[in-house]
Amino acid sequence: MNYKICSRPLSTLTKGLIVLVALLGLSACKALPTQSQACTLPGGPDLTSAVGQAKDDLSGVCSYRYDDYFHQLLEIAKGDPKPENRRVFSDFLVWSQQQGLLSKRQAQDYYNRYFNLKFVAMQGDYNNCSSLCPNKKQVLRTMEQELVDKELGLLQISRDRTGYQRADRLLQETELVLEATCSACESEQ
Amino acid sequence: MNASLSTTRAGVAVQPIRLYFGKGAVAALFLLVTSLITALPSQAANSPQLKLFPTTVLEDIRHTGDVAKEMESGLQELISRLDQQSQLFTESKCEGAEEDPGCTQLQNQLSDTYLEMLDVMDKNLPEMEKAVDSTRNSLQKRLRRELGQKMTPWDLQETLLGTASQQQDVSRPTMRGRSGMRLSDRFSQYYRLVSTNSSNAQQNASLAVIASDIYLDMEETSDLISRTRQEIARATLMGKLNQSFGVITPEMQDVVAGVKSILFGDSANDLPLAAPPVAASPQGYQSPLEM
Repeated sequence: MNYKICSRPLSTLTKGLIVLVALLGLSACKALPTQSQACTLPGGPDLTSAVGQAKDDLSGVCSYRYDDYFHQLLEIAKGDPKPENRRVFSDFLVWSQQQGLLSKRQAQDYYNRYFNLKFVAMQGDYNNCSSLCPNKKQVLRTMEQELVDKELGLLQISRDRTGYQRADRLLQETELVLEATCSACESEQ
Repeated sequence: MNASLSTTRAGVAVQPIRLYFGKGAVAALFLLVTSLITALPSQAANSPQLKLFPTTVLEDIRHTGDVAKEMESGLQELISRLDQQSQLFTESKCEGAEEDPGCTQLQNQLSDTYLEMLDVMDKNLPEMEKAVDSTRNSLQKRLRRELGQKMTPWDLQETLLGTASQQQDVSRPTMRGRSGMRLSDRFSQYYRLVSTNSSNAQQNASLAVIASDIYLDMEETSDLISRTRQEIARATLMGKLNQSFGVITPEMQDVVAGVKSILFGDSANDLPLAAPPVAASPQGYQSPLEM
């Protein structure tokens, strides 16, 4: 066979193209996480250093794993529960919002789901008869799930027993009031 | 009479012939609501007031209380007489001695009193039913308007929670709706709890819960009264039949025991204690993200 093409000396243009392709390839490799920054979830017992690592990672290419990082931070915080943890998470979420990792609404939802007494599930722009009552069971189920998250955030991470009890009570009161209110709404129809 | 048991929303088994308006329960409710209304002007008007208990609702409650009181007083005397007759029957060792003329006379007296009790209930229940239904309907309208149509879910939640600054050290009403506590005890507790409330927002929160609880109880009571009325006709017939045979049946004793428990009360000591009042804002820190 005749390998004429290979035996022919490469032109300057071809050489240039090869170099360009090689450079592009290298830059692509650089974008991938290195061994030390491979979106590995933070470990160890110290929440502050874990938050630092999470910020470093999430500022880079690991932002697609935001939820995993957040939950890992919750796990770490469980190991050292104290009231100050609430502020650490608030600061982290505000930072996430400022970095564009979360919208303001997402940041609020994250924070309030875990660290506030009020239930994110109880949102809506329309009156209770028309918006809440038709989905009462679903809303109450969602609130029950949210109470589990509040148990983690308020009780297990922030050591706020009274806050958790109040949230628990709020759920019970909501259940009672909704039962009566929705029954009253239905009677009009 | 077959006193089959039914179960209330609170999970309490009740017998058909039973009323939930003992010991001035409705009167206590009236006092509670009156105290709420009269206390309002002196308090800070930081949050809009819930108009759940206007004068019309109060009037309905007072009327229901009057009807209940009338029936209670009539029944109480009969219950005492039944107790005395029953005691005499037992002490005279009449059980199994029905042939004895003295015992037969005692049995007849017992049956007469029993029928008299049913008669008192039969005469009072229609008015009672009307009064309860009227109260229920008034509350229904108020709940629909104030909580159902004027509020979003978030508003409702904030109303129940009260404002953060006003939540410190304020006792809250216990969740009575499912506690199994009798109505009269519940209303006494309403009064005790709410009379200690000191802020407008807190009062709104309590009013919403109390109004809901009363409304659901009224619904339940209304249903119970209508079933009771149906049962009375049958019980009266059975009582008359038993009277002709001179027999005091266990069913008759059950009915009497049921009415007694309403009038003289069950102990509320074994009920779970209310959760302690708690701080609203979690441990003082307020995040900029907090809603």
